[in-house]
Amino acid sequence: MTAKPTDPEQEKMMQENYLWDASGAPDPEIQRLESLLADFRQADRAFVLPAGMPVAPRKFRALLVGMFSLPRLAAAAAILFALGITIFFLRPKFEPGTGATWDVANLQGAPQIGTKTIDANQAPVKLRVGQTITTNGDSRASLSQFDLGEIRIDPNSRVRLLQTDANRKRIQLDVGTIHAAIWAPPGTFVVDTPSAVAIDLGCAYTLQVAPDGSGTIRTTLGWVGFHLNGRDSFIPAGAMCSTRPKLGPGIPYFEDASSAFREAIPKFDSSLENSPTRIAALSTILSEARKQDALSLWHLLSRTNPAERDYVYARFAALVPPPKGVTRAGILNLDQSMLDLWWNSLGLGEISTWRFWEQSAAPQPTPISQQPPQKKQSSLKDTH
Amino acid sequence: MAALSELRTPRSGPPAVNLPYETGGPDDALVRAAQRGDRAAFGILYARYSRMVHGILLARVPFSDVDDLVHDVFLEALPRLSTLREVSRFPGWLASIARNRATDFHRRVKPNEEFNEETTSAEIESPAPSVNPPTHSSAEAHAVLDAIRSLPDAYREPLILRLVEGMSGPEIAARTGLTHGSVRVNLHRGMQQLREILGRKALPPTGGGL
Repeated sequence: MTAKPTDPEQEKMMQENYLWDASGAPDPEIQRLESLLADFRQADRAFVLPAGMPVAPRKFRALLVGMFSLPRLAAAAAILFALGITIFFLRPKFEPGTGATWDVANLQGAPQIGTKTIDANQAPVKLRVGQTITTNGDSRASLSQFDLGEIRIDPNSRVRLLQTDANRKRIQLDVGTIHAAIWAPPGTFVVDTPSAVAIDLGCAYTLQVAPDGSGTIRTTLGWVGFHLNGRDSFIPAGAMCSTRPKLGPGIPYFEDASSAFREAIPKFDSSLENSPTRIAALSTILSEARKQDALSLWHLLSRTNPAERDYVYARFAALVPPPKGVTRAGILNLDQSMLDLWWNSLGLGEISTWRFWEQSAAPQPTPISQQPPQKKQSSLKDTH
Repeated sequence: MAALSELRTPRSGPPAVNLPYETGGPDDALVRAAQRGDRAAFGILYARYSRMVHGILLARVPFSDVDDLVHDVFLEALPRLSTLREVSRFPGWLASIARNRATDFHRRVKPNEEFNEETTSAEIESPAPSVNPPTHSSAEAHAVLDAIRSLPDAYREPLILRLVEGMSGPEIAARTGLTHGSVRVNLHRGMQQLREILGRKALPPTGGGL
């Protein structure tokens, strides 16, 4: 469909770097077109599968049904056993943190690993544990691993690879923005930031860290856990959450909540207990909350004092009646099993995934701020 | 009790994120996982390719219908994914579904209903004008979009992916399955033709100098 370009055309074409990949000197004419046409760009929109959509394609399910005859199962078991034995003896020796690498690709400009620049046209280079990728104002890079996912690094960011073994992949985002699309099992991918640790629970999300160490996370698929010294926030698709140094993650909220609701959340997070600002913010949150905003109310239960909690409980229960086994007294006493039950009833994620991660995360991940770790008592018992 | 996630309304607030759509990702593994029925994998494929599908559709159908059609394309692709034998062909396969969906859209639109002025016998080959555009856009933006849509297929798709969807040339190549050379030539020639059309229309420059 494309004719071979003539030599003069080829020469002119190669000068159009801005049209090709937005590199080189900006072309004001193209910039103007981009600006004019920006309103037609695709808006971020979650993909929703209809409730009746089969998880497995029909052909595959039919195949599965056909496979479940006893002789076939026995033969399959024998083959799997033989295969397992073979793999066990032939498996490569894996030394965590020494040989495992991630692929880094240049997406724009001149990102660097240490002091070495990654060229635009070179094949993906390897990033080893302990190495740092830095992007300046004009560069972007991607970081990927076959069995984990892909992380896109925006301009003005600094990312360090901390750990990459079979059960845990961990990076440190000092400053800047990353977009992560993760298909590794929930709890495998962890990002340390100056003010919280982000734990992937099966999702895609964007994480930003400002120079002062504060951060913001926005989730597009699945959900993410934000964690600091016993304070946890869960951020499902469509929601966002901020975090601040020493205080940790705030109350998550859906981005389509009313503007009054969204403005009241950071006010509540940052104000002192019993202050007029906090009381006014809580009042706004409760009055503006929709059924979906039970996400925020659930988190508020553990971030309020007993008097405030009673109001939160009443509003939460009015929007999402507590499931069987959950009582007012139990919630006011922050009974963790009841809180977990109520969370699960929201349909935003199975909290056992998180509890499993908490148990398996030994030692607890420490954010890169230098504050001393505090002993974890209950993730749901702290107020501020 | 109904799960809360089922009760969520479409987001109308500020845009959440721009998902990764860059080159170099192990899409083959994702496609295989989606073929096995992994919804999360399919969700990530949606995140990576929805912008490309949006651009392909925007090159052919009215802006107001594009979002719904993007959703339709993925709903159509999901049950058919198991029939895709070579997973590396996923980008081209998905692009074909999007183009066919646009063709179906024009077949179903009744004459004199929406495109009575511009619809011709060759409508399937030539795009619909940008009717029902966003209120914030200027008339000039619609004129530019229509000018791009008047270009040949090979030029209008990469130009829309580049100028509207914000994808770079290498990203367009990776997402559409075309070579870098083809995309570069098509962008260059498409841009040349666009300049000529816009020059003929003599759009008033507003600081950039078209």
